Amino acid sequence: MSAMLLNKEKWPEFVGKLTGKKVWAPQADSEGMRFALLAEGEAPVPDYNNTRVPPKGVLFPQTETMLKFQVKATEVDEPELDQETVVLGLRPCDARAMAIVEKLFKWDIDDPYFIKRRDMVTLVGLACNDPGLNCFCPSVGGSPASTEGLDLLMVDLGENYLLEAVTGKGEALLKEMGDLLSEAGADEAKEKEKLVKEAEGKIKRTVDTEGVPEGLPGLWEDPLWGKVSASCLGCGTCTYLCPTCHCFDIQDEVEGFDARRCRTWDSCMFGEYTLHTSGHNPRPTRKERTRNRINHKYSYYVDKFDVIACVGCGRCSNLCPVNIDIIDTIRQVKEAL
Amino acid sequence: MKNGTNPYIPYPATVEETWYETGGDRCIKTFKVVFDDEKVRKEWSHLPGQCAMIGVLGIGESMISISCSPTEGDFLRFSVMRMGKVTQALHQLEVGDKMMVRGPYGNNFPVDDWQGKKILTIGGGVGQAPLRPIVEYVKANRDEYEGLTMIYGARTSGDLCFKGEFEEMSKCDDLACHLTIDVEEEGWGHNVGFVPQMLLDLNPSPENTIVITCGPPIMIRFVLENLKKLGFEDEQIYTTLENRMKCGIGKCGRCNAGNMYVCKDGPVFSYAVLKEIPEAFA
Amino acid sequence: MKMDLEQLRKTAAEVVARDDVKYLVGWKQGTYGYRVAPGFVEDAAGAAELIFSPLCTANLATYLTLVEELPIPRGQEPDDRKVAVMVKGCDSRAVTQLIVEKGIKKDEVVVIGCPCPGVVDPNLLAEKYPETEDQVEMKWNGEGFLLLRGGEETKIARDEVLAEKCRLCRYPNPVYSDIMLGDPVEPWETDEDKGVEEVEGKDVEERAEYWAEQFDKCVRCYSCRNVCPLCYCQDCVLDRLNPTWVNRAVNFSENTAFNIARAFHLGGRCIECGECERVCPANIPLGKINRKLAREVRDKYGFEPGVDPDAEPFQASFKPDDPEEFIL
Repeated sequence: MSAMLLNKEKWPEFVGKLTGKKVWAPQADSEGMRFALLAEGEAPVPDYNNTRVPPKGVLFPQTETMLKFQVKATEVDEPELDQETVVLGLRPCDARAMAIVEKLFKWDIDDPYFIKRRDMVTLVGLACNDPGLNCFCPSVGGSPASTEGLDLLMVDLGENYLLEAVTGKGEALLKEMGDLLSEAGADEAKEKEKLVKEAEGKIKRTVDTEGVPEGLPGLWEDPLWGKVSASCLGCGTCTYLCPTCHCFDIQDEVEGFDARRCRTWDSCMFGEYTLHTSGHNPRPTRKERTRNRINHKYSYYVDKFDVIACVGCGRCSNLCPVNIDIIDTIRQVKEAL
Repeated sequence: MKNGTNPYIPYPATVEETWYETGGDRCIKTFKVVFDDEKVRKEWSHLPGQCAMIGVLGIGESMISISCSPTEGDFLRFSVMRMGKVTQALHQLEVGDKMMVRGPYGNNFPVDDWQGKKILTIGGGVGQAPLRPIVEYVKANRDEYEGLTMIYGARTSGDLCFKGEFEEMSKCDDLACHLTIDVEEEGWGHNVGFVPQMLLDLNPSPENTIVITCGPPIMIRFVLENLKKLGFEDEQIYTTLENRMKCGIGKCGRCNAGNMYVCKDGPVFSYAVLKEIPEAFA
Repeated sequence: MKMDLEQLRKTAAEVVARDDVKYLVGWKQGTYGYRVAPGFVEDAAGAAELIFSPLCTANLATYLTLVEELPIPRGQEPDDRKVAVMVKGCDSRAVTQLIVEKGIKKDEVVVIGCPCPGVVDPNLLAEKYPETEDQVEMKWNGEGFLLLRGGEETKIARDEVLAEKCRLCRYPNPVYSDIMLGDPVEPWETDEDKGVEEVEGKDVEERAEYWAEQFDKCVRCYSCRNVCPLCYCQDCVLDRLNPTWVNRAVNFSENTAFNIARAFHLGGRCIECGECERVCPANIPLGKINRKLAREVRDKYGFEPGVDPDAEPFQASFKPDDPEEFIL
């Protein structure tokens, strides 16, 4: 299918046609912007830089029931998984993160919760015309208009959105829209190209990652880890807000006779994360944890899945309480190589 | 999701026999369990070195090494040290109670590649649990291997696991069982001293031999040192690692040592691989 | 503002040169824009990077108790040297409260006091004067602030970007220090605590609804707890799994339990440095809860934490005439 155009005035109708599906979209609240389920009739225009918390929770909720059972029973029930879902207006970096994380959740054994949700979700991305201060996606293989992980890409052309299907699911969604859309022509394609180029030009904070994945293991004992982690508070901001961080904890919760096995996001920056029951901790301080976090994203993940597990969204740099800035950290790594 | 496609679903297994290996605060209790569902029982297949997630619904799960060889029969054995919330709950299980089991997880000792070789196991304390399946496997396939030597030590005779099984071993000429404890005890008819020293004293030849060692980190460190002194190559030495785990299938993230997930790439590693991972002995 | 950077850096260099000082924690220029980072200084070169400016919002007293000590290898002596820390007025109250609670001992620290005319709220600043990748310099300038960026000077009125904690601040000068830099600043007239009053003005249901909406955003990253200089338990009850007091699940009930437990553990201890609210990635107005409890303790018991190093700790002391109207 060729590219289509949607007049922005018809945006509410476009959203309205998605009835019967769960629709996630960026919405403003006292936190800033965050992804939330749209109520019937709502159609906020996705005019924003990015959300504080990434939309990874659509596929990998911060808290989810894995199994339900009765105390002392041996039978377990699985939860019903969600209905068809659309995520509207997520940024290309966040969609790319989902594709990156999917590699792990599919590695050898499928993680049924993530994969099932991925199958039921249509990801409708919105290219960034105006990247944020800490956006550095081109440094890690992304782009403000990357389609990786997306089913459909929207580009804000001013009066219209340009819609390009990336997958069959994206095409199906365009078909559902019927005559709301009109065909886009060569002018719009050119306009898009121009906008993407401009957006890339607006990215000021960049980092050269060449040689970093191969070089990191050699820097194991480098003093840079002590320097980078000295001020670390050991909180979960960088990992919880990271769209590629995927670690989780599993705990049983009991309420009366009803119980569930539940998984929640976990963070490698917490001491308890690797603490053995014996009291031994293979990563006893924030230095080892910081080193692991960076190595995991920029080296281990590359070894395993051939891609850096960082999409350059800049959230950890934006929101680290003590200015531990991943762009700066990778620059320090690069210098130490 | 249908039952069977979700790897996180544990299956009930009934405790058929259980006994204490050791006493004290951190006592070790062994469970022999059999899956209730015949289909699960038939489909289950593991090899020495692999682990399983075992637990109690409403409390949680722990990754525990399977301490029996598949050659022993259609059951599983786990030797569990009482340490935290889950292992405390497991220790309360008695004959007839249900244990929830999923697995098997991780890689296994490359027993096929080792055919025709001499096998030497060096264990300390509860570290004998993952070695026991190897011992049993080699015993059951005696013709395939050149022989088996077992060195096993603990602080006291009361801290040795699987005590009843050693007598029979020492009666066979192609199986050798060397036991040691740290301090002399009355009536102890075996060696006294630390495991690494006993290894030096026995002075095994590295020729055509595979060594598998498991035990406390300090023991492993000195065993490795002494193996090098005896002329063993890195490729001849194997060990198994443990780390905190939640999922068992390489998703939850926490068990990595460097770029290796202990639950999937391990727990069995050759020293040639491990020595390249700075975090492996952390 | 009488204290100059040269004096600060000179003092810092002298302190870290002392045999009995391990390192000094101060503020240094961050990696870009308005960012300021905690600096761990061990020598004169490090001291030369230190700054003190209206962007130095962080309370560095938290680093006095954040150290993760590894077991000392056999044969090695423990390093008992002191840690030096630079504090503003509010930060010094944290040090004082830590001394009161015996979380630290006076002779373990060298406290360098920096009288503070008030710092900026980095979010307000970025909202009005967008942050760029360029590093900036910011100064106190008479009644307001001066922003220097790329050769340009911008005068900013104090009220426009002053941090909320500073509007309410009654202790701009360090209440406890070993070394004081510069001259004391004149305390200013404080605003009414509109944030707390606004919530107090709601009825019970509205209040519950307000906090439900706030706690719903909590991602339980624990940055509020970890940044707090007075949350220094090595083994936090909220992390415990055996028994589990608060589930790992992130939902209204557990989030409320977490936030309320923390607030109560800080009642009579919180020194209102506002760090929890500054670092919260979900913008939860944690300051309102903590200031509300501080106000209750002040009104009912006449106690204010972190102003007198010889005080008895509030939560561990008892007077026969303590009001007990809230006890059933």
